[in-house]
Amino acid sequence: MAFLDNSGDIILDAVLTDVGRKKMADGTFKITKFALGDDEIDYSLYNKNHASGSAYADLDILQTPVMEAFTQTNAGINYGLLSLGSTDVLYLPVLKVNEKTTISSNVKSPSTPTSGIFYLADTSTNTVSKLTTALGASDKFLTSNSTSGPAILLESGIDTSNIAGDTANKLTYLVSNNLVDKSFYVYYDNRFLTTVLGPTAGSKFNNTSLGLSGAPTLDYALAIAPPVTTDLQISNFSSARIAAASDNVVENGNYSTPDTSVSAVAGPRGAFTVLNFIVKPNLNTAYTLYGSVSQDVFSDSVLYSYIDTTIFVQGTKTGTQVQIPLRIIKYISG
Amino acid sequence: MAVINYEPLNSSTDVTTTKTLLYEAIPLTGTIVSGTYSDENIKNFTHGMFQAVYDYPYLSSSANHIFDLSVGYSSNSTISGSVSAVQESKKINMYNQFAQVLLGYTGSDNIVREFESDLSLDGVGKIQDSFFINFSRLITKDQIKKGSFSLTVGTGSWANPFGFTETLTDASASATGKTTNTIGGDYGVLYNAGNTARGVVFYQAGIAILATGSWDSVTDFNSGSSPVYSYTTAQSLASASISGSCDALRHRIKNISFNNTTEINSTIYFCRVPHNKYNYSANPTYLSSSQIRVKSIASDTPISYITTIGLYSPNNELLAMAKLSEPLKKDPTNEITLRVRLDY
Repeated sequence: MAFLDNSGDIILDAVLTDVGRKKMADGTFKITKFALGDDEIDYSLYNKNHASGSAYADLDILQTPVMEAFTQTNAGINYGLLSLGSTDVLYLPVLKVNEKTTISSNVKSPSTPTSGIFYLADTSTNTVSKLTTALGASDKFLTSNSTSGPAILLESGIDTSNIAGDTANKLTYLVSNNLVDKSFYVYYDNRFLTTVLGPTAGSKFNNTSLGLSGAPTLDYALAIAPPVTTDLQISNFSSARIAAASDNVVENGNYSTPDTSVSAVAGPRGAFTVLNFIVKPNLNTAYTLYGSVSQDVFSDSVLYSYIDTTIFVQGTKTGTQVQIPLRIIKYISG
Repeated sequence: MAVINYEPLNSSTDVTTTKTLLYEAIPLTGTIVSGTYSDENIKNFTHGMFQAVYDYPYLSSSANHIFDLSVGYSSNSTISGSVSAVQESKKINMYNQFAQVLLGYTGSDNIVREFESDLSLDGVGKIQDSFFINFSRLITKDQIKKGSFSLTVGTGSWANPFGFTETLTDASASATGKTTNTIGGDYGVLYNAGNTARGVVFYQAGIAILATGSWDSVTDFNSGSSPVYSYTTAQSLASASISGSCDALRHRIKNISFNNTTEINSTIYFCRVPHNKYNYSANPTYLSSSQIRVKSIASDTPISYITTIGLYSPNNELLAMAKLSEPLKKDPTNEITLRVRLDY
């Protein structure tokens, strides 16, 4: 898309999306609400200390060129503007994946052969045992449809060391501003994944259960998350809503294990959730079409087929989101 | 991703509809009609009932169809029944087709009405021998603008057709008068400079019907050398093929111009952004170590910058999207009304 001419008056370039045109065709076109977005804006350009004064702080932002409107909904509003009740909010929560090694039942992405990718073993014979050998541990990968873990642990909270992650600050900065997510949307590629597993009621994550050791307690069971119909903006993606529970990891100077060794969030924690998936059966054709077949992934002469995809997780209250690279992997031979 | 905060649109106070008429000037120069492309832009058909005129050699994918030409006469015309008639039944068929589509049938015998060179359709001033110019919808769009049609034809000899010219216009017609409405839409009368009626133009149908009066004094309206022939308009209509008469007319078209009309029906959504809404952002760059970048202390005013407006269905489906040409600052000290117009 080209940029809009911003040399004169402010203009609005409006288009029907592909979904809008489809709705026009089937006679169900009805607009009832609106939302605002700022996807093009890079707020790091905001210069509070501009040499010419505060009036110039957003000069660069206001000169941001804006692209023409897209007709595809997947390029619509990715990061919406938020309405919060209070004007004196200084911190907003972020969503992070917790790969701390002090926790045993969360999954960690292996550092080799590539870092940052989470592995998901499909249910074919020997994949789990081969991955355990290749990666050296069973918590380095997810197992399809495993309701007991390990699972991806996600935490939302204020990720700053400027504010102690204690209970009082959690109340002040998160709870009182209504910034604690009660659930999360999970978007996944329905060509490869059947559904999402989320935590059941009673799941808990804290560092308070084991006294002054400050050691983590992560208890959960996983169950199939209900699908939801929200604005699915990425083709072939479905969405589900998984529950969130209160993240009760707190800072306590008397704990022998610091809270930052337990939590991925440096400051007050709001909510956590855990996540696993069910891989679609009979993905052999998909491995050929969308992934790689019979590859020596770990340089151990064992061959695997795999597909790389991305999982999107978003807080239903705060809108904070994270993308999780996921490799669906299947043992072939060797 | 899912948008977290929506603002409802009240259908009675935030939504309105308008209709706008958009006009474009369409000038068609006679050199395109005859000359520029050595008739490679003229398509004749084996059925021989009309010929199509393109703005470029029609075998090219760049060519656009601009209008069709045909001729015909009523079975009640003095030409009808000529001993030297060529394609007579097709010419009568063409006349009847245009007449039944544009005027319909009348009387106890339910006979097709005939074109008239006035607005009254009272049986006086009939146009029984005609040239038909059907303009493509590509250029007329929804209709020809009333009062804008102009056709200049050469009334000189075959060898020098533009030695004399006559310009036919519907200048007296307007959106408020001097037109007649029929089953084929509104039509106005084409007059020459002497205020003599020479034909009619149907605005919605985009069809001009020319009588032969412009060439009454021309003895070689249609002429050729192999074999040698020289026809008046009446002779041409009777004795030349339809395409032959169309060729003769194209030979004499100097200029055609009109304004087309596009009706744009719009729905306007007034997206009212209250002072206390949309002052924060879920944009990842909005935070640095979880702190809002545009604030130094908690009491600083939150600021966001609007670039996009999404319009949603009750099921949160993005149906339309609008982009501002530049970011718009939003903070709790201002309220903004964004006027989003969707055209259909």
